[in-house]
Amino acid sequence: MAVGILNNVEIKGIAAAVPDNERKSEEYNDIFGEESVQKFIKMTGIKKRYVALEEQCASDLCYAAAKKLLNKLAWEPSSIDALILITQTPDYAIPATACVLQHRLGLSEDCIAFDVNLGCSAYVYGIWLAATMINTQGINRVLLLVGDTSNYGINQNDSATAMIFGDGGSATALERTEGKNLKYFLKTKGSGFKHIIVPAGHARTRSKTNLESSEYLLTMNGSDIFTFSITDIPRTLKSFMSQYNIDKDDVDMYVFHQANLFILKHLSKKLGIPMEKVAVSIDRYGNTSGESIPLTLVDALGNEQSKEPIKLLMCGFGVGLSWGGIYLEMDRSVCLPMIYTNDYFTGG
Amino acid sequence: MTNKEKLNLLEELLDIGKDTLSEDKELKNLSEWDSMAAIAVMAMFDDEFGKIITSDEIRGFVTVKDIMDKME
Repeated sequence: MAVGILNNVEIKGIAAAVPDNERKSEEYNDIFGEESVQKFIKMTGIKKRYVALEEQCASDLCYAAAKKLLNKLAWEPSSIDALILITQTPDYAIPATACVLQHRLGLSEDCIAFDVNLGCSAYVYGIWLAATMINTQGINRVLLLVGDTSNYGINQNDSATAMIFGDGGSATALERTEGKNLKYFLKTKGSGFKHIIVPAGHARTRSKTNLESSEYLLTMNGSDIFTFSITDIPRTLKSFMSQYNIDKDDVDMYVFHQANLFILKHLSKKLGIPMEKVAVSIDRYGNTSGESIPLTLVDALGNEQSKEPIKLLMCGFGVGLSWGGIYLEMDRSVCLPMIYTNDYFTGG
Repeated sequence: MTNKEKLNLLEELLDIGKDTLSEDKELKNLSEWDSMAAIAVMAMFDDEFGKIITSDEIRGFVTVKDIMDKME
């Protein structure tokens, strides 16, 4: 079972970037009607979010976050042993965007670089993967980049998806540090692979002709996802907490994937934790896919100066279906303030 | 829970005026019944009755009474 403790690893810094292009939910009144939009806001909590420019990719947002973070930490690019990019909106079908970023960030040729395809669970998988690598000989510093421009490939006339996603990119710096550890659990339920899917555009449909254009866009089955969110997530989180004696009152902040506010509230109720301890960013940033956990951390702690430790329980869940949790302690001051940028790569 | 209480609970959940919903109302003719309402109903079953209603069951609801029959 994928549950355990990883030793000698610490998060040294987290940065998050969003496009400098705010979209308010109310801007959709003309398309969906004011009443529907108000109902959407009430249910999801989303009042606004940031949408990438046409030319702007997830990698550009991750790049902006990584640049600032390396600068703040005074980490030489040559000291990074591995770069992991987790995204579902890579720059190209081929090659891996992590290779492009290794070049753009000026990292060494000795640096490992690869992409991982995960969405809502990306951050917890990424932390586990980076920590696992740090427990490998010769790897001391890992740069974990998680980001998506989910608004690419959205049906603008589908009220279930048109207003929900925010775009963003993040960078997290992890380093080998004696005496620090984290606890994790990771799970997969591939039977639900169709619940959130972009059916066309890749190999499975290559021999099919006359595909509907909507098959190239994201479809989401909200009710099946909701069932998953209120059954599997609280059950496995409770079991993880019980296995490691994590007292719910000892956790300073719960950082869950920002699916929608209704799910966050329902989860807090099911877990018996007060909403005051559940970090919320969805109201201002939307559902930012895999980036929602680091973005929420930056939103909550980005202006903290205190080095006082904070105990965090993170849980990412969604597309796959895939989910997991990480429990760790870090300094409150590791998050940089939110970055707003419209920069993009022109060398591609 | 009496039928009236069930109806009132659904009215509150779906943001419909009190005492305006009838048991035989077909969901397809109820403008408030949409994907978000379905999720609110699923959450209500979990909260109030400790029951998980699947999306297939939701799709199987034809009238308001079909929902009420499960509310126990």
